[in-house]
Amino acid sequence: MNATVFLLLAALFAAPFTAAFGVARSSLTRPVAIVTSAIAFAAALYNAFQPGPIIDKEWAPAWGLRLHFEADGIAVLFALLATGIGLAVIVYSSVYIPIHLHHEHRAEADQTRFFAFILLFMGAMTGLVMAQDLMLIFLFWDLTAIASYYLIGFDSQKREARVSAFMALTVTCITAVGFLIGALMLDAEYGSFQLPTLIETITPNYEFDIAIVLIVIAALAKSAQAPLHFWLPRAMAAPTPVSAYLHSAAMVAAGVFLIGRFYPLVELRAWLLDALIVVGIASMLTGGLLALTRDNMKQLLAYSTIAQYGYIVTMFGLGGKAGVFGAMFAVIAHGLGKSALFLTAGAVTEATGARELSNVGGLRRAMPVLAIASGLAAASLAAIPLTMGFFKDEYFFEAAAHHGRLTQVIAVGAAMMTFSYLTRFWWGIFGGPMIGSVKPVPVPLVAPIAVLGAISLIGGLWPEPFARVASNAGQVALRSDDALHPAYHLKWTVENAMALCAIGGGLLLFLSRRFWLERVEIVSDFGKRVGPERLYRGSVLELNEISDRIHWIEVRDLRSRVATVLAPAALMVVITLIFTNADSSFEVGHVRRDDWPLIMMLAVVAIAGVAAAIPRDHFSMALALSGVGFGLSVVFALLRAPDVALVAVLVETLFGVLFFAFLGLIPRNVEHADVVPSDEPQEVGHRHRMRDSVLATFGGLLAFLVAWGVLSRPAPVDSIFEDYIDLTPSAHGDAIVTVILADFRGLDTMGEITVIGIAFLGIATFIRRRRVR
Amino acid sequence: MNNGMARQAARLLLLPTWMVAFAILIKGYSDSGDGFSAGVIAALGVIMQYVTYGTATAEKLRPVRYARQIAMAGLLIALSVAFVPALRGQPIMTHYPGPDRHAVHLGSLELTTPFLFDIGVFLLVMGVCIGVFDLLAHATRRERS
Repeated sequence: MNATVFLLLAALFAAPFTAAFGVARSSLTRPVAIVTSAIAFAAALYNAFQPGPIIDKEWAPAWGLRLHFEADGIAVLFALLATGIGLAVIVYSSVYIPIHLHHEHRAEADQTRFFAFILLFMGAMTGLVMAQDLMLIFLFWDLTAIASYYLIGFDSQKREARVSAFMALTVTCITAVGFLIGALMLDAEYGSFQLPTLIETITPNYEFDIAIVLIVIAALAKSAQAPLHFWLPRAMAAPTPVSAYLHSAAMVAAGVFLIGRFYPLVELRAWLLDALIVVGIASMLTGGLLALTRDNMKQLLAYSTIAQYGYIVTMFGLGGKAGVFGAMFAVIAHGLGKSALFLTAGAVTEATGARELSNVGGLRRAMPVLAIASGLAAASLAAIPLTMGFFKDEYFFEAAAHHGRLTQVIAVGAAMMTFSYLTRFWWGIFGGPMIGSVKPVPVPLVAPIAVLGAISLIGGLWPEPFARVASNAGQVALRSDDALHPAYHLKWTVENAMALCAIGGGLLLFLSRRFWLERVEIVSDFGKRVGPERLYRGSVLELNEISDRIHWIEVRDLRSRVATVLAPAALMVVITLIFTNADSSFEVGHVRRDDWPLIMMLAVVAIAGVAAAIPRDHFSMALALSGVGFGLSVVFALLRAPDVALVAVLVETLFGVLFFAFLGLIPRNVEHADVVPSDEPQEVGHRHRMRDSVLATFGGLLAFLVAWGVLSRPAPVDSIFEDYIDLTPSAHGDAIVTVILADFRGLDTMGEITVIGIAFLGIATFIRRRRVR
Repeated sequence: MNNGMARQAARLLLLPTWMVAFAILIKGYSDSGDGFSAGVIAALGVIMQYVTYGTATAEKLRPVRYARQIAMAGLLIALSVAFVPALRGQPIMTHYPGPDRHAVHLGSLELTTPFLFDIGVFLLVMGVCIGVFDLLAHATRRERS
């Protein structure tokens, strides 16, 4: 087994493995989850040193699909993040989740579900970043969406969690359909689903533009970029480790991964890069501004995630070595820092019970390790020198400075906001006077944060290894063999000046927060009132309303249900009758002497049919219906179709008995002629009766016309039935009908009997249920 | 229903009904009727007992007690006939022996896989009819009481 396969299998099998052990024994869940994610991380690390070979196997050759995986630079970077931060989050969750379940009064066995889904996410993410086939990418892309749905909605007893999970799923999956359309368009236009082939062969045209825009929109929605950012703050309804994972290293990172993966195609269009810059800056400003005002710790971090991914998207848009390579570096720095901060928020809530910044403070004495570790992580995100994050801002500034004055100013402004809200977050928790009481937290709630914080620091002192991972990724995206060499330049460069401005300005912003806080909140209120989330909610509610109304029309009672079938069918027949040439369709044939028995029998059937339509008591209606059925079977017999006649008689008998058995279920007082439900007012009942009779007459008349029209046409001469008759002896049979059923059209029969079996199971459960009630 | 004549007739007719059903099943490939009709006839024989003797007595009949198993066995047989060829790399629903091969004769009955398929249909239809009727009989009895 080579390294690529090993990574793939280790990541993909972690979830089923954990689930299997967890179902067998709940206490095994946590150790197995930790071990499997550690193995996956080890595999990713191994691939970082020694990238495995390309796997390229046929999958569905008829459609040009291949199992095509490659552990290239981008794949290694994102796989390292997904498995590494995944491991940290899982270690943290191994303590956090049991406590959380206890708080929520849920069974401890529910933890299996949590770990299985978070590992499923990890596996899907790893598969996604290694896939080179567009359909594979789509498959894993949707798998991450499904896993995120269950993770965000993990506290399914809360309405908020369910709504948020649905929102995240809707936003990311609708845009994922756009990705699918884009992929199919690329295949239709350039004849391949393989990304490397596409990159080699594509010459942009109009179809390419649409396809790549759809793909980029899918990526931006997943990365929670404005204006599709509103799902991310909602997703904070999830347990903290989920937020820490999805919104630092996994789900949101998948979006920018996709941009990186398709970058060779994206950069073919300059306007697309400009659009990325616009979207990125919009997200940066929206996220930054809102993060400045949030009081809830997780909400603050959520908006800062939007802003930080805005950075990265902008960097992709700016392009060049500083932009693209720097974006890759920023993904690493942000993933490490942000996950640590989310976990910090969880640990603080665990220790004090507070979720808002205004309810905590002064924890630096009580929790010194946490204060230092999260301080390092925050410093890294705020781009303080000697931390890893400093370089992400340096590349950001370099790319912005290249682009133009305005971008440069915006970049500094965004960095100022970043510095300010992160200081607000950290100082709000650990600085100032002590508020409330603190209970000690277990070591596994702090240790992962300490490790992540330490890595953020190490990355600042010795950035070379991280830069190499980022460079390898950037080389794939930019198709160059350049490399990043981050180092501190103690001289007056543009980037240093910008960094100084950002830090100084951010500090000023933080210190003067009392003066602007309320004014910015007006902006966020305005956004809430007219923002895209309102549009989303409105459209979901409206669609739901329409669907409810149609549903109600259909299922109100049995008659309206029949009407909803009858009315559209009749309408379609009318349309057909109008638009087809009806010259010779309706003929009255000649009646021969031996046709008379048949006509008499049909008359009997007709009389029974009319009798069934006259409302009396149910019993006589059922009898009249049976009369129709038996009469028709005699008609079949007279038409020399013994098989059909036999089946008709049997089915009619069976249905008669069932019908009468059912009559026993109807309450006595409605057994007589009470066609209109008694709980309806008289005039409504009358109106319904009118409607029903009009519909019935209309439907019956059209059915009659159709039957007449069909019977007026001569049967086609070369029917397949001639072949059936000829072939029956070679199928070892004489009875043509049976041979058709069991042999020629056996596949149909198989489907039908399967339906019968399933219907039986359905009836059994349905009637059983009633017994329980 | 408290009718001695009907009860007597129902009991006397049970075995002949099954005989007819069996005959129709066997003759299916050379004459009118097939597994479906045979299954319904066999079930009607049992349903007759329900109508005359009531649920409590009829339920003691073996086909009623094992209605579900009969139905599922039938489905399993039919699906196996359909899918076993796939294991041999042939299209599903391939029947043996093939068109010009010789099949073992038992009178007018030829032993072929379509016949086995038909037996599956027969068992399924019989089991489902009896099973549904039994469920319904229980439901009506509960509603009444």
